[in-house]
Amino acid sequence: MTMPPAVPVTRQAEPASSAPFEPKVVAFLCNWCSYAGADKAGAAQIPCPPNVHVVRVMCSGRVDPQFVLQAYRLGADAVLILACHTGDCHYKEGNYRAIQRHRLLLRILKQFGIDEERCRLDFVAASEGEKYARVLGETVDSVRALGPLVLDTGIAESGADGPA
Amino acid sequence: MRVGVYFCACGTSVSDKVNYDTVAAELGKIPEVGYVRSVEFLCSEEGKQSLEQDLVEHRPDRVVMAACSPREVEGAFMQCAHNAGMNPYLLQIANIREQVAWVTPDPALATPKACAAIRAAVARVCLHEPLERKELDVCRDVLVVGAGPAGLKAALCLAEAGRSVVLLEKTPVLGGMPVRYEELFPNMECGPCLLEPLMGEVLHGEHAHRIEILTLSELVDVKGYYGNFTVTVKQAPRYVDTVKCVGCGACIPACPAATPNEFNCGLDERKAISFPFAGALPNVPFLALEACLRTHGEDCRLCREACPVEGAVIYDDAERLSERNVGAIVIAVGSALYDCSQLPALGYGRLSGVYTSLEFERLLARNGPTGGDLLLPDGTPPASLAIVHCVGSLDERHRPYCSGVCCSYALKFNHLVRKKLPATRVFHLYKELVIPGKEEFSLYRHASHSPDIQFLRYRDIAEISVTAANGRHAIRYRDAAGEAGEFAADMVVLCPAMIGSNSAGRLSKVLDAPTDQFGFFQELDGRLDAEQSKVRGIYLAGTCQSPMDIRGAISQGMAVAGYVLSGLADGKKLKIEPITASVDEASCSGCRICGNVCPYQAIGFPVEQEAASINALLCHGCGTCVAACPVGAIQSHHFANRQILAEMEAALQ
Repeated sequence: MTMPPAVPVTRQAEPASSAPFEPKVVAFLCNWCSYAGADKAGAAQIPCPPNVHVVRVMCSGRVDPQFVLQAYRLGADAVLILACHTGDCHYKEGNYRAIQRHRLLLRILKQFGIDEERCRLDFVAASEGEKYARVLGETVDSVRALGPLVLDTGIAESGADGPA
Repeated sequence: MRVGVYFCACGTSVSDKVNYDTVAAELGKIPEVGYVRSVEFLCSEEGKQSLEQDLVEHRPDRVVMAACSPREVEGAFMQCAHNAGMNPYLLQIANIREQVAWVTPDPALATPKACAAIRAAVARVCLHEPLERKELDVCRDVLVVGAGPAGLKAALCLAEAGRSVVLLEKTPVLGGMPVRYEELFPNMECGPCLLEPLMGEVLHGEHAHRIEILTLSELVDVKGYYGNFTVTVKQAPRYVDTVKCVGCGACIPACPAATPNEFNCGLDERKAISFPFAGALPNVPFLALEACLRTHGEDCRLCREACPVEGAVIYDDAERLSERNVGAIVIAVGSALYDCSQLPALGYGRLSGVYTSLEFERLLARNGPTGGDLLLPDGTPPASLAIVHCVGSLDERHRPYCSGVCCSYALKFNHLVRKKLPATRVFHLYKELVIPGKEEFSLYRHASHSPDIQFLRYRDIAEISVTAANGRHAIRYRDAAGEAGEFAADMVVLCPAMIGSNSAGRLSKVLDAPTDQFGFFQELDGRLDAEQSKVRGIYLAGTCQSPMDIRGAISQGMAVAGYVLSGLADGKKLKIEPITASVDEASCSGCRICGNVCPYQAIGFPVEQEAASINALLCHGCGTCVAACPVGAIQSHHFANRQILAEMEAALQ
């Protein structure tokens, strides 16, 4: 299984419209804690911002950094990775791998000029419906303040030349 | 490709927020969507039946359920698909209840969000592949490591259920710690008597023929996985044939060599050939080679000459390595006590008459070094006794936890001492008193009503000092309010924290089952699955998992038997879930990064193959290796890159 090139980005700022900017966010949720936490928010009817699309994965350790880069390419203004709390991973240590990859990813994003608020890792337990709603709200608010993600085409072109 | 979409209105729970007509119109624009149906309650019996019929009638290539959380209904809908003759993995659920309708108060926002979620599910499901659950034959026999209360209970229960059990014990004697205790809290039952029936059943009972007992044995290697482990056992020589020996003990008085008796904590000596203690089972002496004169160059044969049975004493007995095939492994190796010399001010190892609780148990026992007479090292009975609770417990400098049993046995000591020597004064120095249970309180009630017994609460164990004074001990402390206090006692007993067994570290490596920061084996879940280790098919019973009392250990022994009997049930094959990872050998560069990140040791590197290979039975499907592979050689079934990307792309449209 091969992925498309890492960052073949050609996104431009969309022409200014009269509607206020609403960010699009992709959230990767691990099946055991965070996804259950999201369901908990639902069961408790805690309002969550509608502009977050949830992608369920079995473990936060499954989140390939390329998923994050692809999400930006496909139009996401931010990505959330939600994991079990440290020590609580259903798969023992998948969330530690997620933390390691996230740290490295932030360095790369910095080089691309992507603000680290656009790639947030947090921990939501199955019981933390309120925290889930809060993290989503904070992320959407901070990205709304940052504005739409505009990727530098120069970098995008050099990215496209990189190894596939 | 023809996708059928079922929209569950959940009564009005979803349809109040998500407009079905808009959803249906939106989905109509997707070429792959063959049809869309709205159902009032998809998860009701009626709903599932009509779903099955509808699937049979319309034969879609893929199905999307726009419904509630897959965590709730995925299993049921997969069963419906299966019943309708579909591969159940060709189904995807869009969670439009918990994650859309219930968290998006404004219908004008909820409807487009639901559309996006369903659109994403459709895009994903088109890329789903049919997957099959595989089944595997398994070995139903069990290895139990440790023959204390937990291991004995597990072994007996499994044997009663018809399973063959290999029961390993590191020492020459069965029963673990409680057989060394004269009496047990809360009801002063005799420890050996309590376990005698259990040990009798294991040794000679109706099901004993299914239990292979290997004393002086250790587990040295484990290969394979749940359902099919190959274990290697190392058995040290006993020098006495357990079958031929009649247990008469004639060899013991004949033996001229003596050695400190570790079963009495070295408080007395025993013969080089002897029983560990009177009443030890199996009723066969063992020869401690390091103490035997034969080891020191002498051709002594006195024990063999005294033995009435030909060939029962075997001088050329040797260490044996043997293999067994088992389907599951139970760890029941018990625990150890915190080293009291880590608190030097308490005098342990420095002053005579200062004992650990285990040593004190032996001093109280009739088969112990003093024959059950409570005596000071000078041979006189003590007139006063200080019992220090919480030694190394509830203390960040030592162990932060409470072991939960020490206060109860300290009150038992109180009771036994006063029974033997009614005039003895007893001082309890404690940090916290913890006496849980519906029976244990009576010991405390009796003790607290006696004028000869004092309960003194100390502030910090580091402020307690024990020093020699006029042949007795002067004990200084500061109470909970910080006031200095002092009293004298003839004998001091320390109640140390329970800690992980000395062999836990080595066993943990052999089994690849992790221990926690305190040396106890790590459980899968502290409440839900405390008796399962982090490795499938390896179970935990007794104090190797956490401090607990005998009842707790026995209960866990039964619990692990339950896990084994349900997991490896008779006539049942082991199911292998298809949501696993697999390696494309041609693409694998052999870097082994995947093996390092796999939390389950599921990835091996067969030499002949020069590529990684994932054992589907051990793989839990987390996908960590998939994300780690630098060349994309590992595929995650049902969570493939292209499936996830398709979902994302459709959602972001």
